[in-house]
Amino acid sequence: MKLLIVEDDRSLSRSINDYLKMEGHICEVALTFSDAMQKAAVNKYDCIILDIGLPDGNGLDLIREMKSKKLTGGILILSAKSSLDDKVVGLKIGADDYLTKPFHFAELSARINSIHRRNNFLGLNEITFNEIRIKTEDNQVYVNDTLLILTKKEYDLLLFFMANTNRIITKESIVEHLWGDNVILTDSFDFVYTHVKNLRKKIVAAQGRNYIKCIYGFGYKFIDT
Amino acid sequence: MNLLTKSTYYFLLLSLLAMITGGALLYLTIKKVIYKQIDNSLIIEKTIIQDQIEQTDTIPDFEATFGHQIEVKLLNYAVRNYQSIKDTDIYDSKTDSFTPFRYIFSTGNTIQKKGYIITIFQEISEKNELLQDISLYMFFLFFSLLLISILINYLIARRLWRPFYKSVKIAGRFDIQSDKPLDLPLTDINEFNQLNDVFYDMTHKMRNDYLNLKEFSENASHEIQTPLAVIRSKTDLLMQQKNLNKESLSLIKSINEATTKLFKLNQGLLLISKIENQVFHEKRIVSLKNILESGLENYTEILQLKKIKVELDLTDGALVEMNDVLAEVLISNLLSNAVRFNIDNGFIKCHIDRNSLTITNTGSSMTIDPEFLFRRFHKGSDNPHSVGLGLSIVKKITETYGMNITYTCHDSVHEIRLQFRHKSH
Repeated sequence: MKLLIVEDDRSLSRSINDYLKMEGHICEVALTFSDAMQKAAVNKYDCIILDIGLPDGNGLDLIREMKSKKLTGGILILSAKSSLDDKVVGLKIGADDYLTKPFHFAELSARINSIHRRNNFLGLNEITFNEIRIKTEDNQVYVNDTLLILTKKEYDLLLFFMANTNRIITKESIVEHLWGDNVILTDSFDFVYTHVKNLRKKIVAAQGRNYIKCIYGFGYKFIDT
Repeated sequence: MNLLTKSTYYFLLLSLLAMITGGALLYLTIKKVIYKQIDNSLIIEKTIIQDQIEQTDTIPDFEATFGHQIEVKLLNYAVRNYQSIKDTDIYDSKTDSFTPFRYIFSTGNTIQKKGYIITIFQEISEKNELLQDISLYMFFLFFSLLLISILINYLIARRLWRPFYKSVKIAGRFDIQSDKPLDLPLTDINEFNQLNDVFYDMTHKMRNDYLNLKEFSENASHEIQTPLAVIRSKTDLLMQQKNLNKESLSLIKSINEATTKLFKLNQGLLLISKIENQVFHEKRIVSLKNILESGLENYTEILQLKKIKVELDLTDGALVEMNDVLAEVLISNLLSNAVRFNIDNGFIKCHIDRNSLTITNTGSSMTIDPEFLFRRFHKGSDNPHSVGLGLSIVKKITETYGMNITYTCHDSVHEIRLQFRHKSH
């Protein structure tokens, strides 16, 4: 995927760049509003990761500009302000998603994948990982052509793992992904453990391999052994 | 005791004291004047008789004036000159009673050195009656004067202090979160205007300080987000590196945990400050039943795992007018506590009716007053992942909507009860 990272904090933009490159994406970084406008006008990106608070302009204007020029590509807003207004306005004028700082890279990755899936209808509504096949259109998971009966949480968890294969995913990021912002104070990691355990059990029961590796103290890694 | 009662009380006390002293003094003065008059008349009469005796050596042929009773005795020997005026009671056999008299007793000698005794009596019961009458009138006069002045004093004071009480009432309703300045009435009393000015300036300053503080905490929270994002992104990158040894992993884990905690803390404080800043001012009718049911779905697996029994008694008609985001935060925080601090094989009972929501759950027993947990950073458990803001957020939300929340804990059964305030239509 070709991505544009618009973030004025050098350190953060570099981190995002590094991580997304590691994920196999092609990334470009714009540190200012004008730079971002230029890059977005010239190149075609699959997704733009956009910080709203830029020193020389409001990220929301960039979205308006892009939409008026009918530029395609998903937009993921990144903001320190979890202010509802920004979120509502941003989504209204055409952004695809909204992520509040600080975020986990695993979450960022999952969101970018999800935006990409939604914006590209052809051939992308199916994710395959060896014997595991996920039909994202109707939320169905097959392991060796056996349909898995998963709970909503287990399904989300599997999708989250899929978006971050071969990466360490912290338990914190899983909690945030599964329960969202409102349940920030639900921090009992037993929850995660239960879900992971059940998911693993179901995959293995359908003759799937155990890809979920526990990284002690940290979280998990969905790894192709 | 309020000011009016107190001032009336003191006024009454001092007036009574003044009245008693004044009355006594007046009584004594009048009595003295009357007695002096009597004494003078006695002396005059005595002098007339004395002059006659001394000039004629005989008992004069006198007629008693002023209603006096006069006794004169001539003696054959000389006596010492003596004179005294005294009170006495004389028995009257006709009425079988004693009548008070004032009398002068005087002795002297004629030119022939023969003594004489003059005693003149004056009945004083009439005078005493006069004195009593005067006293009685005086008492009534004083008493009515006192009553009238108390009444006047009370009425004046009540009128004068009215603006003060009004100001106090208005100042008492002062809400630091409201934009409206204090609307204190202008009076024609300088002192009260001064007081109002002080009230006004004070509340104005308080509000400004409060706003500054609020702005500061919100800005600080916002500004912390980006560095936090940097730290988190760096640790995320760091932990993905290959060939990390166990020690490095453990260090990253600690950094990661601390960052997460800081993030949650910040997010919680930001949420509280946003609630205070009325970011969530939009209201709609929300069904707590629906929110609670969908909230519980989040915990389906964990409830099964912990074998926690859930009993629901939810009324459909329980609708509350509030912000939907806050309603979700409220319910999810309450549910999260009920699940998190529950015990294996415990229970959670949720009850919602038109006026209240009650969540009862098993848990561990508590040594501290559960109400303390509504305070920021007060934790009921030593869970290192808990930041102690959940119930403060709940409290903040309930305060915003004028709901009443109570937390009780009996024998390891915890109960949180929310009472809604419905607008009367």
